[in-house]
Amino acid sequence: MQNDAFFIKPVRAIGRWWEAWAEHAGQIGLLVWATGVSLVRMRISMREFVRQLYVMGAQSIPIVFVTAILSGIVTSQQGGYQITSTIPIYVLGSVTVTSIVLELAPVLTAIVLVGRVGARITAELGTMVVSEQIDAYHSLGRDPLVVLAAPRILAGLVVMPALVGFSNAAGIGSGMVAANLSVGLSAETFLYGARLFWHSWDLFYSFMKSVAFGFAIPVIAIHMGLRTSGGAAGVGSTTTASVMFQTLTVLILDALFPPLFLQ
Amino acid sequence: MTGNDLAIRYRAIHKAFDHPVLQGVSLDIRTGEMFALFGPSGTGKSVLLKTTLGLITPDRGDVEVAGHSVYFGGDGSLDQVRQLVGYVFQNAALFDSMSVYRNVEMGLPEERLRSMEKREIARAIWEAVDLVNLEPKAVLSKLPAELSGGMRKRVGIARAIVGRPSILLWDEPTTGLDPVNTAAVERLIKRLSEELQVTSMIVTHDVEGALLMCDRVAMLEGGGVRFCGSPEEFEASDDPVVKAFVDRAAAEAALDVVEMS
Repeated sequence: MQNDAFFIKPVRAIGRWWEAWAEHAGQIGLLVWATGVSLVRMRISMREFVRQLYVMGAQSIPIVFVTAILSGIVTSQQGGYQITSTIPIYVLGSVTVTSIVLELAPVLTAIVLVGRVGARITAELGTMVVSEQIDAYHSLGRDPLVVLAAPRILAGLVVMPALVGFSNAAGIGSGMVAANLSVGLSAETFLYGARLFWHSWDLFYSFMKSVAFGFAIPVIAIHMGLRTSGGAAGVGSTTTASVMFQTLTVLILDALFPPLFLQ
Repeated sequence: MTGNDLAIRYRAIHKAFDHPVLQGVSLDIRTGEMFALFGPSGTGKSVLLKTTLGLITPDRGDVEVAGHSVYFGGDGSLDQVRQLVGYVFQNAALFDSMSVYRNVEMGLPEERLRSMEKREIARAIWEAVDLVNLEPKAVLSKLPAELSGGMRKRVGIARAIVGRPSILLWDEPTTGLDPVNTAAVERLIKRLSEELQVTSMIVTHDVEGALLMCDRVAMLEGGGVRFCGSPEEFEASDDPVVKAFVDRAAAEAALDVVEMS
């Protein structure tokens, strides 16, 4: 009997874990489907979409700008420090630009958006759940997914590539200036190095990453927000879980990109 | 009693969360009446009310609203039910990011909104806000956060009535209000029910007020309907559980008056 209990407990725990993940996956699938249907049928609240473009995009520009500038400076300086006399100094241009375009701009922008936008969406929708505002939408014959989810997901898809493009430009610019100030690399030499190893595909790769992140962040944030229960404490714990879930998803998606698209 | 005489019919509603809450509740609400639902906390009054609009799905049983089955009539049936019923939430459940105007506008069905001119929409909103004794000019442009608790409740009522439903569901409409505002909201419920000629079903803890204004009352206890009848029968009931509930409600009402004074 004891042996049975010894085996059954972990099996049950694994079963419950899988059940929870299957529930998450199913609900996210339904959310994405409902959003897709409302987009195809053009049943989307344009007023809310424009509001989300402003909240998610325009209001994120300052923090994205600062993050991009600093990451460009650090990448350039650390790259310069590692380049010894055996490696031509113009390689720094390539190292900086490639690092920013392939990795730093999309991932750092995504992490910033998780904290600034993803947490906000979960907390906002979670509060709407516990204060019965979501029930109110249903009672009025309105689908909260059309009113709340679709505009946020569409805004994420539009805003994220734009912010990553902006971050790419700011990061490369600051990296170029930092290279000049730290190792005396001129702008022409920096750009020469960057062009030497440049693949146009890299920019598309950066764009694809931004689209994936721009989709995943609002979807997970909305999904978690709509699952909230338990009053103010529930909103707090769900928001924390949501931020963790979004961050993990961004990092996992990021890890999947090189084997899928850089072979 | 024919189906046409019934506004709402709850048929053997079962619902359990971590423990059974409703265990086969059946109730008939007649067209045009004011019906109050009492019961100790946690007996499933609000849960029952929410099953009327599919906001909580029962584990078993069905609800019929004006002959439309909520759970076995398909999506179209539920949409029709939601157009027939106005729901007043306990804490108003106003949309925080929208002005009072937009909040009340949300109470108009989407199809009607598309066919209405802006002026007609504005007039309907103005009338609904005026009906709940709010000054439209003063409140329509405000956000819910800028209103007092009593005003928020009234805006919630305006949103529920703007689409001119034939049934109004009130979930604890006076909870959280002081006795003066409680009396004002109760007068408003009575007046609106008469003026708009709607069926009203009220879930409330304010037994005294509900007994004065309702045609029939019911009490939920132990997962089922413990009592259903007129207010006079309720007050004269020999059932010890009903008696204890009435006594406790009277004591709480007296305490409220003492606190107020």
